Amino acid sequence: MERRKFLSMALGVVALAAIPASVRAEDFRKSKPTVWTTKNVYKDPKTPAGPTEEGVLAAVKELFGSNEITYSDVKLKAPDVASNGGAVPVDFSTNKDIKTIALLQNVNPEAAVLVLDTNKYSVNKYSIKLKMKMSGTIYIVAQGTDGKLYGAKKTLDVALGGCEG
Amino acid sequence: MAGIKAKAKLKNGTVKVKVLIKNPMMTYDQAKKKTGSRDNADFITHLSATLNGETVFDMSTSQFLSKNPIFKFEFKGIGAKGDKVQLLAMSNKGKAYKGKAKVR
Repeated sequence: MERRKFLSMALGVVALAAIPASVRAEDFRKSKPTVWTTKNVYKDPKTPAGPTEEGVLAAVKELFGSNEITYSDVKLKAPDVASNGGAVPVDFSTNKDIKTIALLQNVNPEAAVLVLDTNKYSVNKYSIKLKMKMSGTIYIVAQGTDGKLYGAKKTLDVALGGCEG
Repeated sequence: MAGIKAKAKLKNGTVKVKVLIKNPMMTYDQAKKKTGSRDNADFITHLSATLNGETVFDMSTSQFLSKNPIFKFEFKGIGAKGDKVQLLAMSNKGKAYKGKAKVR
């Protein structure tokens, strides 16, 4: 298993290097399918309550190959209390030179929400709305051009969960 | 109706784009609860924007965006008034959503 993983990663690196960065638009659902199926871990798996960081860190590791995140240089704006978990507005931005930026949370069944591939025209300022099942933490993780991971996180209360519709 | 509504505005050299995709964003859990089958989940998996053949925005998404999700993003260094931003989104069912916005 380890060997297979290593080989597929090596192939990916070769494929990326062959294409100029400007035209590269990576479909992370195809290239990194495991990111999207990484489950969140709860302290109590039956309820499930007490979200933990483990699932998020595992997903980050699948995506970037490392989960050593420096919590700086990334701005994340979200409400302290979201009245509707079906649409939690989140703004995030960074002034760093980054390659990829991802948004994750620790309350829905899986951790990953979106992965953005930036390009030379990007102003790294985004605004989206996401669903949250209950109160939890939102994470932004950006990979800089230097290969390091920068991040921001925010814990918020969700008054009405959004995933049960 | 499936489709994308979008607006693009040029200000101080930066183009701000606002995108709305009409999609139920049904997660696997919701699909199972409402229709009895996980397979009825329907959500956007990928959204990209191009302008004059250059990719300006590229995003892979999961099921946890809000219903009829709205995205805002910005880009600079390309685009003039009257140019068109082409948007293409794919759902997990392989359905393509198309839209365009004229830069104002």
